[in-house]
Amino acid sequence: MTHNQILYIEKLTKQYKGVEEPSLKSIDLTINKGEVFGLLGPNGAGKTTLISIICGILKPTYGRVLVDGKDIYSHKDSIKELIGVVPQDIALYPMLTAKENLNYFGALYGLKGKVLEDKINYWLERLGLSHAANKRIDKFSGGMKRRINLIASVLHDPKILFLDEPTVGIDVQSRAEILEQLKIINKQGTTILYTSHHLDEAENLCTNIGIIDFGNIIAKGSPSELVKNTEEARNLEDVFLHLTKRKLRD
Amino acid sequence: MYKLLATIKKETTILLRDQFGLAILFLMPIVLIIVMTFVQDAAFSSINEKGVKIVLVDNDQDSLGVAIKRGLKSTDLVELSDSIDGKLATEESALSAIKNGAFLLGVVIPKNATNNIRHSVDGLIQSTLGNEVSNQSLSDSVEIKIIIDPIAKNTIIEGVLSNLREFISGIKTKVMFETFSEQIAEVIPDQENKPQNTYEKSQIITYKKQFASSFEHHKVPTAVQHNVPAWTIFAMFFIVVSLVANIMNEKKEGSVFRLKTVPSSYLTLIMGKVTVFVVICTLQFFSMMLIGIYVLPMIGLDALDLGGNMLGVTLLAISTSFAATGFGVLVGTFAKSQQQGAILGSLLVLLLSAFGGIWVPTYVMPGSMRMISELSPMNWSLSGFYDLFLKGADTIDILWNCLKLMLFFILTTGMAIRMNVLKR
Repeated sequence: MTHNQILYIEKLTKQYKGVEEPSLKSIDLTINKGEVFGLLGPNGAGKTTLISIICGILKPTYGRVLVDGKDIYSHKDSIKELIGVVPQDIALYPMLTAKENLNYFGALYGLKGKVLEDKINYWLERLGLSHAANKRIDKFSGGMKRRINLIASVLHDPKILFLDEPTVGIDVQSRAEILEQLKIINKQGTTILYTSHHLDEAENLCTNIGIIDFGNIIAKGSPSELVKNTEEARNLEDVFLHLTKRKLRD
Repeated sequence: MYKLLATIKKETTILLRDQFGLAILFLMPIVLIIVMTFVQDAAFSSINEKGVKIVLVDNDQDSLGVAIKRGLKSTDLVELSDSIDGKLATEESALSAIKNGAFLLGVVIPKNATNNIRHSVDGLIQSTLGNEVSNQSLSDSVEIKIIIDPIAKNTIIEGVLSNLREFISGIKTKVMFETFSEQIAEVIPDQENKPQNTYEKSQIITYKKQFASSFEHHKVPTAVQHNVPAWTIFAMFFIVVSLVANIMNEKKEGSVFRLKTVPSSYLTLIMGKVTVFVVICTLQFFSMMLIGIYVLPMIGLDALDLGGNMLGVTLLAISTSFAATGFGVLVGTFAKSQQQGAILGSLLVLLLSAFGGIWVPTYVMPGSMRMISELSPMNWSLSGFYDLFLKGADTIDILWNCLKLMLFFILTTGMAIRMNVLKR
């Protein structure tokens, strides 16, 4: 692992009990500091499993994961302070207000007092949610929930942010706002690993792309490189369909 | 500590916002306590206070009938009547009334029963004194008929029969004593110094009730003293349903995913939950005690007496709260859905309560079941409260119960934490 790498994955394998095929097959992957890395793949390709292992939610069957040079199992808690996770589903308490949710999750990252309050107010303002700070999450629209879901993951200024389909099922305005904010977050120094089915979004946002299918990384490179290296491909969607084929997966 | 406090604050806010859930948490046990105590008190009273309804058919109209009537009336076990619909009871009307459920038992004293006893006793004495007696006199016997409603429990029948046997034996002895006195008086010419009939005054063997209790003035165990702690413990363990819902909501809403990614241990997060639910359980307990003390007397039941050892009561209540919460955490962690958890939790609580002595006292259980009941945390708690409420136990006497309940909490919570690790 070099000094410039923030994530180093070596021979990562995950075999679920009772499932014949491993979900991840000896994956090697490195992500450099400051990158926006897009992890693309069809449903069931292994994207969520990979993110869950890197975040310490799942244990791998085999392999090694280093975040910022530290092994994720021997430095579990200190690594959790370095990472932020935006899950695919809204991971908030619907009966609590936006502020109460953010106060709680901020506290779990060790933030407290005025520091926490200032951060919450800053992010609510930045994502256009100040007016809804004291509104319960179950009264929020889908787009508003997605934005709070993002804020809850960046309050502690993570070094690396994992996003699992952060723009799924939301209105165009909220999607544009989230993507814009991700670019800013990245410019401010946070590395991003991002999964999505919106290939145009990934092409626009990511500096590097990895395409995963059947538990293997089958292609890796910048969006332009991938398009250039794929026969008759005009965009990332053509590359994706060429590599993963058109057969439905679920 | 800061993370634990934040979790406690979060759990409290969620719980307070769920007003329907909160109402269920407190109202359900209140209704349960009132209904169950009322129902069981009625059953308890029908046997112990008002007594078993018995109809007496006195065809004898002599000493035996009077003695049986007086004897049955003097016992708390029986509510005696010798008439049906305003008419003196006959064997036929008694049979019909018992068939219709108006009475549980009927006692029919045959005609000339007292005379037959006298003849029989006289014959026995004459025979003892070596005089010639007819076989008829010796074989005279009295048959008292007992009409029984088939639904009557054997213990009730045996209780009443035992009382009857005692009254009949008393009458027989009395007749025997009187006859002896007369016989002796006949052979003693000095009328002034003839033996006095002192049988009525004599009471050779007497009984004194003493409860195995430290109270100076014993407390009579009432339905309230038994039922309020029993159903309170049952309600406290039923918190499993709310805890399962709480844990399942975190899984369903996805917040559990985020919780797994934060730098906080599962123990901290679960202890936040445990703290709030232990407080709820303890509040439930003391609310139920207040219902027992102030509300039950308003509806005609006895007031609950906590026994005076408030430190012991509080310690045991808190230990029970921990045990109930630990159990809920384990079921909530094990269950894969809210429905599965609610069904599993409710069934387990019913089972633990059934063999823990909540529904039926452990002393009426068969030996093997009594041994199993010793394994139920509800039994540990209930027996502790019985000791405190009925026997005036000291705090030290219930410390072992508290310790077992706390160990149960540690075991169940430990298993939940381990299960959570294994799920990865």
